[in-house]
Amino acid sequence: MALLVPEPAQWLARYGDDLYRFALSRVASAEEAQELVQDTLCSALDALASFRGEASERTWLFVILRRKVVDFYRRQARSPFVPLPVLPEQAPEAEFFRPDTGHWQPGQGPADWAAPSGEDDLEQQEFQAVLRSCQQRLSPQHGAVFVLRFAEELSAEEICAALQLTAANYWVIVHRLKLHLRRCLEKNWFGSTPRS
Amino acid sequence: MRTFISDCQRATLLIERRADQQLPLAERVQLWAHLHLCAYCRRYAVQSPALARAARLTAQAPSTARLPSDFAAQLQRRLDEPS
Ligand SMILES: [Zn+2]
Repeated sequence: MALLVPEPAQWLARYGDDLYRFALSRVASAEEAQELVQDTLCSALDALASFRGEASERTWLFVILRRKVVDFYRRQARSPFVPLPVLPEQAPEAEFFRPDTGHWQPGQGPADWAAPSGEDDLEQQEFQAVLRSCQQRLSPQHGAVFVLRFAEELSAEEICAALQLTAANYWVIVHRLKLHLRRCLEKNWFGSTPRS
Repeated sequence: MRTFISDCQRATLLIERRADQQLPLAERVQLWAHLHLCAYCRRYAVQSPALARAARLTAQAPSTARLPSDFAAQLQRRLDEPS
């Protein structure tokens, strides 16, 4: 079987839109997505020698793109550490939970999300648009963990390594971002009266 | 005072952790007891994985976007250059 020879001049025509769509699904803006595609193809060009023709060209380019996504969030999340609070009253969680008992603050307890029509909300485009807008309101660090964990589905160990987090910090961040996200969805989707 | 019965903050953190790793037995028992008594955290336990699923679906949603042609043309020139 003949090994594949990479053909950089054909990359854009063959894979350009697919790479771009994938990038768009991982970052917030079209500019950032274009930059990822450009970085990916330039890195691939530099690394032509490492392409052995074992995987398809397409697979190889997507591996590079996924690495670029992780790099993107590594840069975005760069912050010395997550301040783990000293006093419960000062913790960001105090917004959601009573510092004395740990019980939900009044009005913060999760509401019932049952879809009135019985249909599955999660697959609807409008729901996904609301989710994306809630996602974009997360802090840079929370947003980075969100994409790597829930879109890229990296393991906790991989994310801790990429973002230089301890496991304890990682869980605190996942918890906080889920609290923010579910509250945002509750307010903007499940709580909103008539949807049309 | 915080006890595992009152501590929804801890219970919901454990719910997040258990999505990725098996919890030690003591924590599993405490979470089970908490969920038995707390309707809010029972909802959270249902919503949290649903949210993860929604995030995955949203990331995989089909798209019809195309690379802007001026950007593609510029990039094409770099790819055409013989190295
Ligand atoms: Zn609870």
